[in-house]
Amino acid sequence: MSFISIEFLLFFTIIVCIYYLIPHQFRWILLLVASYVFYGMINVQFLPLLILSTVCTYFFGIVIEKQETKKQKKHVMLLGISILLFFLGWFKYFNFVNESLRAVAEYFNWNYSIPYQEILLPIAISFYTFQAVSYLVDVSKGKQKAERHYGYFSIYFAFFPQLVAGPIERAKKLLPQLRAEQSLEYENISYGMKRIAWGFFKKTLIADRLAPIVSSVFDSPNPTGSEVVVGTILFSIQLYADFSALSDIAIGCARILGIKLSENFKQPHFAVSISDFWNRWHITLSTWLRDYIFFPLCKGKKKRSDIYVAIIITFLVSGVWHGAAWTFVLWGLIHGIYRVFGDYTKHYREKVVSFTRLDRSPTLHRWMKISITFFLICFARVFFRSDSVSQAFENAQLFLSISSWSPVGIFKALELFTLLDFVVFSFFFIILQLFQYIERKKVSTWKLLSQRSLITRYAFYIFIILSVLVFGVSGDGFVYGRF
Amino acid sequence: MRNIDKYKHAFITALDIEESEVREDLALGDIREWDSIGHMGLISEMEDVFDVSIDAEWMTEFNSYSSGLELLKRLGVDFINE
Repeated sequence: MSFISIEFLLFFTIIVCIYYLIPHQFRWILLLVASYVFYGMINVQFLPLLILSTVCTYFFGIVIEKQETKKQKKHVMLLGISILLFFLGWFKYFNFVNESLRAVAEYFNWNYSIPYQEILLPIAISFYTFQAVSYLVDVSKGKQKAERHYGYFSIYFAFFPQLVAGPIERAKKLLPQLRAEQSLEYENISYGMKRIAWGFFKKTLIADRLAPIVSSVFDSPNPTGSEVVVGTILFSIQLYADFSALSDIAIGCARILGIKLSENFKQPHFAVSISDFWNRWHITLSTWLRDYIFFPLCKGKKKRSDIYVAIIITFLVSGVWHGAAWTFVLWGLIHGIYRVFGDYTKHYREKVVSFTRLDRSPTLHRWMKISITFFLICFARVFFRSDSVSQAFENAQLFLSISSWSPVGIFKALELFTLLDFVVFSFFFIILQLFQYIERKKVSTWKLLSQRSLITRYAFYIFIILSVLVFGVSGDGFVYGRF
Repeated sequence: MRNIDKYKHAFITALDIEESEVREDLALGDIREWDSIGHMGLISEMEDVFDVSIDAEWMTEFNSYSSGLELLKRLGVDFINE
């Protein structure tokens, strides 16, 4: 069952109705059954793995808490995390490691006999494993009490609005909300419905409209340089619309149930630097990596060069987390290099800005930084989107060729769109930008809208719904659902 | 050396700045040396000097001279009765 479907909306409506009709003490049963039904309808064969991971984490949490010394707690925690990472490693990385070793063996003419295994990737395994790891670490450090109620704990693991692609939540934030009795509140229902509708808008009118155009470039055996440039920029827009739509729907659904999930995006394509970008893109993953990978790696490190190494490793982990392929590893490495290079050259860049007097025009300076950051992000996404390393390097070379950016070539590459598609996409893209512009002015668009007259408000809501129904297209799932 | 002097000295050593730059109203980002990466080095220096462990969530909480002082007090470092 896809988020973007009538079936999901019907399923969710039924769950909401029952949720508010039954007493609080039975709601966890409803949410757990709903979560497992939802997951089972996507891929029933991996439901036992989800349950097994939940059971393991639940018991390890309790056992960790019962240990007397910090050292014992740490040992049990590491054992628990190892089991969880074994599941993740087996299903997600076995063939990646196996094929990489085979390539090395072939290169050196060694005998290598481990065959390729037919292993399917369980949906959401990266997301729930990360939630489990953070839970075990927090319990071992005494920041989180081990949850004794197996029902609530299982929902933390499998809460259906955020199971497929996050936001990655911490137990400290989600468990108390699941335990608290939520009452039916107009504000929650209204806000949740708007967020869901906005998610549908971004997904069906931006992301899925762009998906076939982007694919036509990256699936083409010999795209032109300008097509790679246009395809990559469109992919960046598609990826943002796709993933932020998913977060919108997750946040909206949870809010209707009275639960507040973490925000995952803050207009990342308006970031003024790479570090700023990672404060705005997939925020819950970035903070997870910061707290559970980067900070521990920095322990005892005083030199900048040592911290640079920690940055590179953290971005490599981010790359590998996104997918078991060398293209993702390279994507992570590029971001790590960006971050380190950005820090190393900060002083020189400041001097250049001062010398060119760019700092006297803050708006121009800001937009230059936004443009350069976006260009760098797009370049890295050539690797993210390409199907193989060789294709990624070919595309990257095309992306960096000055001739690929010629206005004539770019204009010709826009022929990837049909005229109707271009007009429809441009119209809804402008609406999205207007929405974001209002948000950048530190005003909540929804709040602003709520201050308008009833007619204006409902005209906007009807416009969104009709746009989705008339012009929306639906592709095959979410890009981030694969991770 | 008193703990408060050790505290100030940690800033000087970790961030490689002059004593005059360590002010009580100093905050993360105020000076070029105290950026997010310099902050990690400063945390390590504080952990070494005061033999404490500063956890991930406190690292972000420690964002100024005074908040660092408060954090260390909570971790048992005595700045008053020494």
